[in-house]
Amino acid sequence: MIADTLIIDRGVSAGDAWITVPSESVRDALSGLRSEGYRLMTFLTCVDHLADASRGGAPGEGLRPAAAQGGPPPVDDFPKRFEIVYQLRNLESREQLRVRAFIGGDPPKIDSVQDMFPPANWDERETYDLFGIVFNGHPDLTRILMPDDWVGHPLRRDYPVGGETVEFSQEHEKWQTAPEDA
Amino acid sequence: MSETQGVTITKTGQAGAFGGEILTVNFGPHHPSTHGVLRLIVDLDGEQIRGIKPVIGYLHTGIEKQMEALRWQQGVVVTDRHDYLSPPINNLAYALAVEKLMGVEVPPRAQVLRVIMSELTRLSSHLVWMGTSGLELGAMSMLMYCFRERDTILDMNEEISGFRMHTSYIRPGGVFADATPRFLEMLDKFIGTMPGHVDEYENLLTMNPIWRSRTIGIGRLSPEDAKVLGASGPMIRGSGIAWDLRKTMPYSGYETYDFEVATSNDCDCYGRYLVRMKEMRESVKILRQALDRLPDGPVNVDDRKMLPPPREELETSMEAVIHHFKLFTEGYSVPAGDVYVAVESGRGENGCYVVSDGTHKPRRVKFRSASFVNLQALERMALNHMVADMIAIIGTADAVLGDVDR
Repeated sequence: MIADTLIIDRGVSAGDAWITVPSESVRDALSGLRSEGYRLMTFLTCVDHLADASRGGAPGEGLRPAAAQGGPPPVDDFPKRFEIVYQLRNLESREQLRVRAFIGGDPPKIDSVQDMFPPANWDERETYDLFGIVFNGHPDLTRILMPDDWVGHPLRRDYPVGGETVEFSQEHEKWQTAPEDA
Repeated sequence: MSETQGVTITKTGQAGAFGGEILTVNFGPHHPSTHGVLRLIVDLDGEQIRGIKPVIGYLHTGIEKQMEALRWQQGVVVTDRHDYLSPPINNLAYALAVEKLMGVEVPPRAQVLRVIMSELTRLSSHLVWMGTSGLELGAMSMLMYCFRERDTILDMNEEISGFRMHTSYIRPGGVFADATPRFLEMLDKFIGTMPGHVDEYENLLTMNPIWRSRTIGIGRLSPEDAKVLGASGPMIRGSGIAWDLRKTMPYSGYETYDFEVATSNDCDCYGRYLVRMKEMRESVKILRQALDRLPDGPVNVDDRKMLPPPREELETSMEAVIHHFKLFTEGYSVPAGDVYVAVESGRGENGCYVVSDGTHKPRRVKFRSASFVNLQALERMALNHMVADMIAIIGTADAVLGDVDR
């Protein structure tokens, strides 16, 4: 296992082992795990914890039921709302490990790992496209699923579902046209 | 290819190896050989490929966003629609994930019915692949043969679930309905005739000189590359690595079935073709075993908080009416937590990552689709091949664009 200083928290969720690492040393942690045999990144994604009542305590400390913490959970006070999830697999021992890192900021930034795990290349582009996470050091961080001139990041929890956001609708200029400074 | 953010740098105008210039050509997104709406930006030196950049997203339907707006039991209907050639396998990944979070175990009969539907789906998915890939490489009659058998499978889908394609048959807590006697009869007949049909396809293609010259040595993917690029399904098995989630990380009782993992050491398009042929035969073997062992009993968990009560109970029991009302107005909630479940679809690892915040709707559902990852190996496979070979390579990668774009 990697150095304990790199692990903030660890646990098992529904049978899946996971660890939380500091977002600034995610590359160290993942390269350490990679040299231990977790050579395949099954997927990389993001979870938006905006106003997540199931999470109590200090943000960034992993999954904890709100009831165990006592007191009301913070609703809008969640500076690290984005959870980046890396699912790793060791093809020899068939073990799996989920690595989490919590980030905030505008735009939220984290280091890219696509040079260590090639499948992460498109996953990082997708996460940038749908959540607006900026991956430092990614060679081609562009939109991959949405049109290039799309405004907003659809999988964020504060992005509306449905409504007038349909292409060819009356307000299509508002939704489809990038602002001047974009 | 791209050196600055957001700008595609092509090699147009650079000197080629044959005295000409490199030309950048756009393929698709409406080219029939790209299996949907895949767009490729290809740098060509004469007819040789020097660079290839897939552009995807033309079939993006926001399925993951929709899942967050639907209740847990409603989400099943959406899972049908991302990999539209293997709906029951998508259902299975989602259902297993939700069940794992809730700590629910489905009854044995439901397990076997799930295996039956998964294998039928794998067969129908491979048949579509076989038919369309054959069509692209000049074996026009394959489409007629393959769609004949696929139609029998669709008839069976209709018999058991009421739908031919988007079945929504497998759902959290069990399956939609028990198998009818007519379904079992049809399945028995199908298992009897299918091996003969696979022989038919093999007679047409395996030793066919045109087919062999179009596929042997084309689109090489070395075992190391396949591992590093995260390829799965026939892509990694066609490179000689026996990685099949049904064997390596079994689910739904697959460990109790006797079947072989199809592999090929050819590492090319022909190898991937052989793997799919073998897999069809193995699927028929699994279907036979499943049909022979199909136990009696319920097909759903006995939990009124998760699945609606039977229709006849509604007329006699007040409690049943309350449960029914609660389920269809509020739904059920799933304990907070997250889980990743992967199943083997016709294309490879079809995973579902589900995050629950303890409410009646998912916080996040992520589909790890095999096509999305396999398509990234395209450049590695197609480099320095001819344009016509690229069609064979896209064909044997078997990317379903609905699955790529979700």
